[in-house]
Amino acid sequence: MEEYNKLKHMFDKGTLSRRDFMSGVAMIGAGMAVAPSLLSGTAQAAAPKVGGTFRIGMEGGSATDSLDPRTYSDSVMIAASLCVMNGLVEFDQSGKPTGELLESWEAKPGAKEWVFNVRKGVKFSNGKTLTADDILYSIAIHRGETKSPAKGILKQITEIKKVNENQIAVTLEAGNADFPVILGDYHIVVVPDGFTDWQKPIGTGGYTLESFEPGVRLVFKRRGDYWKAGRANFDMVEIRNIQDPAARTAALQSGQVDAINRLDPRTVNLLMKDKKLNVVRTKGTGNRFCFVSRVTDKPFDNKDLRLALKYGIDREKIISQVYNGFATPGNDHTLDALNPFYNTAMPQRKYDPDKAAFHFKKAGLGDAKIELQASEGAWGSAVDCATLFQESLKKAKINLDVKKVSADGYWDNVWLKVPFCAVYWGRRLSADQTFTQVYGSGSDWNDSNWRVPEFDKLIGEARAELDEKKRKELYFHAQEMISEDGGMICFAITDYLDGYAKNVMGADPHARYDMNDDRIAEKGWFA
Amino acid sequence: MLKTIAIRIVLGIITLWAVSVLIFAATEVLPGDVASAILGQGATPETLAVFRHELGLDRPAYVRYLEWFFNALHGDLGIAMTNKRVIVEVITPRFMNTLFLAGYAALIAVPTSVVLGIIAAINEGKFIDRFVNILSLMTISVPEFFIAYVLILYLAVQFEIFPSLSTVFPEMGFAEKIYTTALPAFTLTMLVMAHMLRMTRTSVLSIMSQPYIEMAFLKGLTRSQVIVRHALPNAAAPIISVIALNLAYLIVGVVVIEVVFVYPGVGQFMVDGVTKRDLPVVQACGLIFAGAFVGLNTVADVLAIMVNPRLRHPR
Repeated sequence: MEEYNKLKHMFDKGTLSRRDFMSGVAMIGAGMAVAPSLLSGTAQAAAPKVGGTFRIGMEGGSATDSLDPRTYSDSVMIAASLCVMNGLVEFDQSGKPTGELLESWEAKPGAKEWVFNVRKGVKFSNGKTLTADDILYSIAIHRGETKSPAKGILKQITEIKKVNENQIAVTLEAGNADFPVILGDYHIVVVPDGFTDWQKPIGTGGYTLESFEPGVRLVFKRRGDYWKAGRANFDMVEIRNIQDPAARTAALQSGQVDAINRLDPRTVNLLMKDKKLNVVRTKGTGNRFCFVSRVTDKPFDNKDLRLALKYGIDREKIISQVYNGFATPGNDHTLDALNPFYNTAMPQRKYDPDKAAFHFKKAGLGDAKIELQASEGAWGSAVDCATLFQESLKKAKINLDVKKVSADGYWDNVWLKVPFCAVYWGRRLSADQTFTQVYGSGSDWNDSNWRVPEFDKLIGEARAELDEKKRKELYFHAQEMISEDGGMICFAITDYLDGYAKNVMGADPHARYDMNDDRIAEKGWFA
Repeated sequence: MLKTIAIRIVLGIITLWAVSVLIFAATEVLPGDVASAILGQGATPETLAVFRHELGLDRPAYVRYLEWFFNALHGDLGIAMTNKRVIVEVITPRFMNTLFLAGYAALIAVPTSVVLGIIAAINEGKFIDRFVNILSLMTISVPEFFIAYVLILYLAVQFEIFPSLSTVFPEMGFAEKIYTTALPAFTLTMLVMAHMLRMTRTSVLSIMSQPYIEMAFLKGLTRSQVIVRHALPNAAAPIISVIALNLAYLIVGVVVIEVVFVYPGVGQFMVDGVTKRDLPVVQACGLIFAGAFVGLNTVADVLAIMVNPRLRHPR
């Protein structure tokens, strides 16, 4: 809180801009929910202006992209879909679910039965009024015989039905207090009942699609009658696909685009000096970089070896050398500090060669070599991180062999198959989803193969618990279990770094995704 | 001579067919498959099986080859597995873009390098010869993205003369296209010039020791007259084949340039296809690239036969 007060003081004195204050708050993890209320009456009071063509240069698209929500996997299509369509649930700056097309909801005790209210008076771009049928259809396409990645998270629905034109009822197989968060998954966007023409999607969003060349450009036009007041302020929005970070940066610097995502952390310091630009940093909500061992494979079935490796990695050094400081140390689980259930009481694990040597000796493996497989295919700098890991283990007299493997087919042939390899995880919707998908016994992606009935029970209890305080206790304990016993060394969580031209307003950090939760086209405006 | 040309063309077609087999075989042995590449981390064994069946990946390879080959002969390259678009419709504008950029670069590079090569040959060993040699060697010695970034840094970011994003769109006029794609065209020019320039110079010079050249000198012609009238026609064949090779490179080998300048050509399309394991897309790109390569080389061979005075006037 001391850090927070310092920032607040600086802000009040006027030495800190609103944006810096916000990102500062995000940085110390004080929870951004409090920040906007403190700032009301200042910069936020400025009403958005309508007009202009907003050009965004983004990484995360490809020539194989499609607007079919069952195929979304990266930023460009997520941002594009939210121009034309709306989700069921939106998230505020702190990451809390708020109503979008599902205006409000209520759970019966036990969180097994839910009732959702459909927003009234919302019109699709073809003039049709939104009803419960459209919502049911948009959820149904992700269930049953489908390749949708959202299929897994919707499996818990046992019954979903229309109560009346503006209300739906959902029954789950077991209680889940986070169910509205699950419905906020980016794949679930709403189209009219029975809609299939994904080349020309019809939605309730603030813009309509003008043209779409996959991997090149999407153009959107303002609808003008958007149901969210003060949103979708640009006359035109253009999303350009720019894969190369240097090309993106050059395009922003020379004014050919107004906003770009995924700045290169190695050069972002130079960009911050540019007076025409505004760098927005969201601390520690990006990718979670891990080295994952399978606890069922030798020699990683030995808990002391796992602890030795956790103490033997120099997180700070990797973060400063590979990420230029634009990442936060991970605490050996994949929940980030902006999540409301993040265990703040558990001390951050630090590099301690003595402890590492102690546990390694206790493991009684002699001077056995341990092999870590890494590849550019895991993430760009995985091999660099592995090499630094190898270096830091030497001080604890542990020999690590870093084997560089092919990027091609990495997720098919290495991940989930070899005993020890580099893996990154993205942010999951909720604490529950994080724990269930990454560490749950029933998950196909439990890459450390750490399957502990006691842990599953704990997560199950927390899932159905509607009392926040009790849930927090359960989740705190879950994190301790993973960190102490699990097979994962989660050493860094990256920052999201967006670049904007100075005249782009509404570019605030968001607890979920970069580019203001991929909604900058909807939330932004030109000064 | 006509017979020689006909043989070349038939050989070209056979090569193309052999390449089609190779392309298909190569895409078969890529590690991983399209279903898991598309679904990525979101794949579960169940969704994978559904998707594989949907894509027809559970049928034997030879059946899929024959189907693909006969469709390709009819100009049907199939439908992209990933986004269900008709490949011919998507690839045609991209291939046109690639041809546009290649043509643009070639129009600058070919005349410049041939003329400079001849000038260098005329002035062998003099300052101008050394100068163009060193300059062209320098541009070919640095990696292409380096030239590209240097050009972007000075001409786009610092002085804002040309745009750094060279994406062209259908609605753009011809002049606008030329302006937008100036930087990639310059970069490509620098990349291919050295090869052609040095080949022109060397082949002209190698002819210079022939007896008929000495004869021309003895007739009292100047050095430049000898080179342009007597040496050049006989040196043309190797120059043409080097030009064809570089034109082919401009079409098939510019992925890096496309990425750096965000140019929507076939190269990036193919790379996206490979990473997502979209086999029909990869095969279509491979076939088009092979077609361009084989086609240009056949044309070069035919031209070389036609310009060779001895083959043109058989005794």
